[in-house]
Amino acid sequence: MKPAKKRITVTVNGESYEREIAPATSLLDFLRTDLNLTGTKEGCGEGECGACAVILDGRLVDSCLILAVEADGQTIQTIEGVGQNGRLHPLQKAFAAKGAAQCGYCTPGMIMAAKNLLDHNPKPTAEQALKAIAGNLCRCTGYGSIVDAILSAAKER
Amino acid sequence: MKVVGQEHPRVEILEKVTGQSVFGADVRLASPLLVGKILGSPHAHARIKNIDTRKAEKLPGVKAVVTARDFPPVKFGRFIQDEEYFARDKVRLVGDKVAAVAAVDEETAEEALRLIKVDYEVLPPVIDGLEAMRPDAPLIHEDCERYGAAGIVQGRKGNILYHKQSLHGDIERGFREADRVFEHRFFAPMVHQTYIEPHAVLARVDASGRATVWIPTQAQFFIRQSIADIFQWPLIKVRVIPTEIGGGFGGKMLPTVEPAAVALAQKSGMPVQIVMSRAEDFQTANPRHPCHMRYKTGVKRDGTIVAREIELVFGTGAFCGNGLVIGQRAEMLATGPYRIPNVKIDLFCVYTNHANCGPYRAPSGPQLAFGSEQQIDIIARELNLDPVELRLKNAIEEGDTTPAAGGPLKSVHAKETLRKAAEAAGWGAKPREKNRGRGIALGYWLVGGMASSSGVKLNEDGTVSVLTGVVDLSGTVTSLGQIAAEVLGVDLEDVHIRTADSDFAPHSTISAGSQGLRSMGTATKLAAEEVKKQIAEVAADKLEAEAGDLVVEGKRVYVRGTKEKGLSLAQVAQLSMTHKRGPIVSVQSAAQFSNQPAFSVHVADVEVEPETGQVKVLRYIAAQDVGTAINPLSARGQIQGSVIQGLGQALSEACIFKNGKMLNPTFLDYKIFSSLDAPRVEVHLVEHAAEGGPFGAKGIGEPSIVPVPAAVANAIYDAVGARIFDLPLTPEKILLALQESGKGR
Repeated sequence: MKPAKKRITVTVNGESYEREIAPATSLLDFLRTDLNLTGTKEGCGEGECGACAVILDGRLVDSCLILAVEADGQTIQTIEGVGQNGRLHPLQKAFAAKGAAQCGYCTPGMIMAAKNLLDHNPKPTAEQALKAIAGNLCRCTGYGSIVDAILSAAKER
Repeated sequence: MKVVGQEHPRVEILEKVTGQSVFGADVRLASPLLVGKILGSPHAHARIKNIDTRKAEKLPGVKAVVTARDFPPVKFGRFIQDEEYFARDKVRLVGDKVAAVAAVDEETAEEALRLIKVDYEVLPPVIDGLEAMRPDAPLIHEDCERYGAAGIVQGRKGNILYHKQSLHGDIERGFREADRVFEHRFFAPMVHQTYIEPHAVLARVDASGRATVWIPTQAQFFIRQSIADIFQWPLIKVRVIPTEIGGGFGGKMLPTVEPAAVALAQKSGMPVQIVMSRAEDFQTANPRHPCHMRYKTGVKRDGTIVAREIELVFGTGAFCGNGLVIGQRAEMLATGPYRIPNVKIDLFCVYTNHANCGPYRAPSGPQLAFGSEQQIDIIARELNLDPVELRLKNAIEEGDTTPAAGGPLKSVHAKETLRKAAEAAGWGAKPREKNRGRGIALGYWLVGGMASSSGVKLNEDGTVSVLTGVVDLSGTVTSLGQIAAEVLGVDLEDVHIRTADSDFAPHSTISAGSQGLRSMGTATKLAAEEVKKQIAEVAADKLEAEAGDLVVEGKRVYVRGTKEKGLSLAQVAQLSMTHKRGPIVSVQSAAQFSNQPAFSVHVADVEVEPETGQVKVLRYIAAQDVGTAINPLSARGQIQGSVIQGLGQALSEACIFKNGKMLNPTFLDYKIFSSLDAPRVEVHLVEHAAEGGPFGAKGIGEPSIVPVPAAVANAIYDAVGARIFDLPLTPEKILLALQESGKGR
C-alpha cells in the first residue's frame, strides 16, 4: 500500500501552487517533476554538490534534502525567478560576462547561493563570496571567475 | 582580425544563467515517461547461474523488464569486441548491468529491481593492475585472445589486453654512456571526471521501430554507432539528439544507460528516462586509468638525458571500452618533451574488475607527468642543477620529435613556455620562508584532429547560420561562430550556431582530445570561405566586376576601392535566389591532421604544515602554448578550471576499493576541490599562430591538466623535503615521509 497523498500549497517565484503529492517527494522532485521547473538540477541527491540549491523563506537550502511537504506554506525562489519581468538579474549578467558558467550545470545552484549572499550582504568581500559558494561544486571554472562575477554584480546593484 | 582573438561570452550563456538550458534529465515529452532503473551486480567478479525476473514482471506498474536475453548475442567494442551490454554468463565489476526495468514511477521501478533474483557464484576479484598480470591472477576474460580486435591491438595474454614495446636508439648503450642512472616507481590511482551532471537518457522507439535518444554526450556519432552495433540496426534507425551537457571531461563518449533505455522503450512502447545516481556514475562510468610507472633515466653529469626506460601498467577495467586510447597516447607522451636518443617503453593495459577506464581529460597525461616530471626534479637536485635549466637543456625544439609523434614537430614552443612561467613566478628569487616551497613541471600534449564536416549558409537577411553536430563543452561552438564571422566579415551577433542532432548535422568530430576546435574549426573555415566565394560570384554579376576584385567585409561586398557602391549581404542573399547558382550554402569536410605539440608549464607555491601534513596551495601559475586563442575568455577559463581539477587529483582524489567495491562513491568521501580549497590561477598565454589549426589555434583543454600533480609534488618536496611517489599527496603520506626522513616529529 502506498501512503496517502498530501496536499501542499507553496509560493514559487511569486506564483501560488496547490498540489497533491506523495509524502516522500523531495522538494527538488516536486519542483522538477510536479511544477516542471527544470532549472534546478540534481547532481548527487545527497546534499553534497549544491546543484539543487534554492532559496526557501530567505535561506539557501539543498532542495534534494528537503521534503516538499516541509515547504508547505512557504515561499521558494528558484533560478527561473531570479530575473524579473524578462530582465536579467545583475548576477546573471555578471556570470555571463565573466565566463562564470561553462557547462552551466552547477550555474543555477551557484547563482542561488550568490543571490542569497547578496540578499543578506550586498557588498561582500572575495573571502565571503568564496565561503558563500563553498557548498556548490563546480568542475569547469575553478571558481575564480564565479567570485569575480559575484563581486562585479555586487558593484552593479 | 576583428572577431577571432576577441573575448566573447559563450553564445548559449543566457540560457544557462536563466535555467532555460535543457540538460539530459530535463527533457520532457507530451506523453508520460516511464522511469528506468538498472540492476547492477553487487559483486566485482562472479558467474551468473540464473536470473529470474518473473516476480518483477508481475508487479503492477512495471511496463518492461529486459536482460541479455532481449539483446542479440553480439560482443561489441571500438578496440576489442569483449563486451556485451547486459552480462550474460559473468559479471566483471560492481554495477555490471544484469537487468533493467521500466515502471510508472521511481518507487515501483526500485521495488521491481528488488524482486529480480540473480544467483551468483562469486569469484575472486582483481583490482590492481600489477596483481592482474601475475600468472595466478583470476582470469577476467577466459578467452581474451579470441575476441575480435582492431589492428593496433597486440600482445594479448591472460589479463593483458595490450602490450607494446617500443625501442628507439640503443637503450643498453645509452645507460652505459650515462654518468648517473636514476630509477623510481610511481603510482597514480583511479580518479573520476565527476562532471556535476550524472549520465541521463530519454529514449523513445516509435511505431516504425526507429529510436530517438536524448542524451548529454560528447560524441553523438559514436553513441549512434554504438547503439546500432548493440542492436544490430542500420544507423538510420537511430537518432541521437544531444542535449546541453553538464560536463564530460572524456566520460561521456561511450554508451552507459542509453541501450537499456532503448530496449525498455521498445519493449514497453513508451518513452523511458534513466538518470544515473551519483554512486552508479562513480562505479560504472569511465574514469581515469590507475597507472603503475617505472622510470629509469640515464644522464650525463651536465644534465643531458641520454636514455630513458619506461614501464607502464594501466588498469583498464572489466572491458577495453575506449581504454586503448591510452595505449596510443601514453607511448607518445611517456618520455616527456625531451630530446632523448635512447628510449625503451613497455606499455601494458590489463583487465581489472572495475569500471572500464577511458579517456579523462588528457588520458595518461597527468599520471605520466607525475612520474616523469618528478624524476626530472629529483635529477636536477641530485646534480645540483636548476630544475628550469635542466628542462631547458633537454626540451625539444622546432623540428624535433618524440616517440610515436609521427615525424618532425612544428610550432614547438616548449622553451618559451618554460621561460614565461619561470619569469611570471619570479623563479630565480624565490622566497625562502619556512615550510614553503615552489615546484615546476612541464606538461606535454599532442593534438591531432579527426574527420569533421561543417556547414555554413547565408540567410535571406544577410545573417549567417552555422550547421554543426559538435557538442559544446568548452566554448567550441562560440569559437566556430567567431571563425565563420571572421571569414565572412560579420559580427558574432550576426551568426547563429547551435548543435544539430545526428539526423541533420554533417558528420562532426567528438568533443574530446583538445581537437574539436582544430578539426571543426578547419571545416567551418573552409565552408565559410566557400560561402564567401559564392557571395562574390553572385555579387560580381550585379556589380559587373570580377569576383576576384570583390571585398567581403562589414556585412557588405564591394569592388576594391569603391566601398560606397557595393551590396549588403542581405541583397546578395536575395539576389542568389534568382541567380543561376541558387541559395548560398556550403558544407565542407576536413580530415588528416598531423600531430601538433602543446605545452603547459605550471609553477605551484605551497605551504606544508609539518605537524599535520596539510598542504595549502598559495599561488599557482599556468603558462600555456595555445597557438592563437580564438576566444581568450574561453581559453583562460578552461585552463583555470583544468588546474583546479588537477589539484584535486594531486591532493585529494582517489577511487578507493576494497574487495572489488568502491568505498567512496559520494562527493562526501571522494573529495573534489571546493571554492575554499581552490587558489587563484594566474594564466599566461603563449601565442604564436600554429600551423594546421584554424587561424593558428591549438588545443587547450587537455594540456592544462597534465603538469598539475607533478608541480605540486615538486613544490611539497621543496617545502619540507618529503618526496611522495603515489597520488594523491595526502597529509598522511607527507607525515610518513617526514618521519621516515627524520624531519618530522
